[in-house]
Amino acid sequence: MSRWLAGRAYLRLAAALFVVLLAVNIALNPVRFAPASLGVTIGLASGLILAAIASMPPILAGRGGIDISVGPLMGLVNVVVVRWLVEGLGIESPFLIVPLVLLLGLLSGALNGLLATVLRIQPIVATLGTSLFYAGITLTIVPSPAGTVPAWIKALAGPTSILPLAAVALLWLLIKRLPFYEQLLCVGSDDRAAYTAGIPVTLVRFLAYVLAGLIAAVGGLCLTGLIGSADPNIAGTYTLLAISAVALGGVSLAGGRGGLVAAVLGAADIFLLQTALTFFNVSTFVLQIVYGTVLTVAVVLNADRLRQLLRRRRHA
Amino acid sequence: MSAALARIPRPVAALLLALAIHLIGMALIRGFGTMFGIRAMLVLATLLAIAAIGQTLVIIIGGIDLSIPFVIGFANVTAAQLYGDGVPFAVVLPLVLLVAMAIGALNGLVSASLAIHPLIVTLGTGTALQGAVQLWTAGFPTGAAPSYVTSFVSIGGSIGPIPVPWLIPAFLVLAALVILALGRTVYGRRLYALGSNPRAAQLALVDPVRTWTITFALSAGFAALTGVLLLGFSGAAYARVGEPYLFQTIAAVVIGGTTLIGGRGGYLGTIAGALCLIELTTVLVGLGLKPPLVQATLGVTIVALVAIYGREAHVRELI
Repeated sequence: MSRWLAGRAYLRLAAALFVVLLAVNIALNPVRFAPASLGVTIGLASGLILAAIASMPPILAGRGGIDISVGPLMGLVNVVVVRWLVEGLGIESPFLIVPLVLLLGLLSGALNGLLATVLRIQPIVATLGTSLFYAGITLTIVPSPAGTVPAWIKALAGPTSILPLAAVALLWLLIKRLPFYEQLLCVGSDDRAAYTAGIPVTLVRFLAYVLAGLIAAVGGLCLTGLIGSADPNIAGTYTLLAISAVALGGVSLAGGRGGLVAAVLGAADIFLLQTALTFFNVSTFVLQIVYGTVLTVAVVLNADRLRQLLRRRRHA
Repeated sequence: MSAALARIPRPVAALLLALAIHLIGMALIRGFGTMFGIRAMLVLATLLAIAAIGQTLVIIIGGIDLSIPFVIGFANVTAAQLYGDGVPFAVVLPLVLLVAMAIGALNGLVSASLAIHPLIVTLGTGTALQGAVQLWTAGFPTGAAPSYVTSFVSIGGSIGPIPVPWLIPAFLVLAALVILALGRTVYGRRLYALGSNPRAAQLALVDPVRTWTITFALSAGFAALTGVLLLGFSGAAYARVGEPYLFQTIAAVVIGGTTLIGGRGGYLGTIAGALCLIELTTVLVGLGLKPPLVQATLGVTIVALVAIYGREAHVRELI
């Protein structure tokens, strides 16, 4: 454990924040964090956690890699599932809906990957373009909240909320066993060196976007369970929250440093911060102030440069 | 084809594109080319171009500023509220600009001195700022702009016989100053030096922390100016008035040929990019598309445009 942590000093702050916030939350609201209601609590957080995990691979791949379309894609999945699959085609079986959702995620990820790595459009612009596209399509399919979802999707935000998270965690563990994982970190740390060493840089980056789309689609399904209907206005906010979560978890936006635990911890921190503050019934405005301040202070405290500056002062 | 296209300077290409969209609009939509329509587009494009001055400067040094929409909202609401409370506008305007610039300076200082990605820093400070403004006004800001600000940006305004509001000539002077500052001053050269190679720039005695601080302060200052002008334009204050400007400023900069890697581009391109965006939006709305579909089409168009002339170099060309 200590050896595992030694290589991940960037996690310390997010982990400490997690422990403190969890303690505060349990003290404030013991019922919500009792084992019996854990399913519902995880269900409240799983959309944000999955959005954060989805944002991570393109950021890890470096050179400005980022996927802004994570939130809008989750919104698209939400309305496609409710309006087209459930209402339109009458499909309710998880064995049809889940593969179709994953396919949508794969295609979207491949589209982002194609634009950002093969066509080499700057990632923030490429995924901004797809974001606007998805958000527009989503609002066109469902202009205002409507529809219902099958019981098993609702359960994804309740008793079975751990399932999608566990599936994505398994996928990530599997990926870590593949050469792709090392290649991703290499490309993120120094793409020129990686290219010279024979790593297929474009392919690795492309796959990072595919992975993002796939995981975001799972997140969209969880979000659908949480909302219980099609709502075009909710998922859009998830992009910036997810990127904040990733940064809070200590993932370097320059690439090459980060992992699943960082994204999950960062997202959990934001979620716990929200639940603790809403317990006090503060307005959304106070929530916004605290959230912005915590994000800024956290990245400042987590900065390598700050550590170097402090160390230099101590030696001097 | 694309090789020939690549040889056209990007600001010129973007300007030609804006012209082409305009001609398409005139062909397809009745009443598109009327004087009033053109004036409306000019004013909207000018407001966007002012908001995008800061984004251009910040992107040239290799950063990005996500706090622009929040600063716009802050200036919009604060100016209305203070002026409504009886504070003279001659005090309100400098006060709002100074506070905004202080926040911007903080963004630049923190990002540069601690090597934190400006995306996160500006997002954090911007969110906190918007929350604070909303808390102060309890979500319902009151007040308005003085009437001379309103007529300064009014679409129906005119300067003697010339049928444009004073905003347009004032902007032309401002744009000339920005272009001069980028091309002909030490500060401008420092921006390009830092953007193309931070380490080399430091060896050439460019102070990155100082330059970043000044540039982000300028960015917030121009955002605040846009917020005040928008107050005159729309008549009432609204904390989220800046929201569309988050992606529109980035899109205008990128369409104008300034690359997000830093070190290349200029403000002339951004002006052309802003014109393109406003022309395109107006044509799409004029064709009867609903706002969501306008948004979707804009997304596709931005990607298509950048795919034609804004591609990054392959990693093999960077070695």
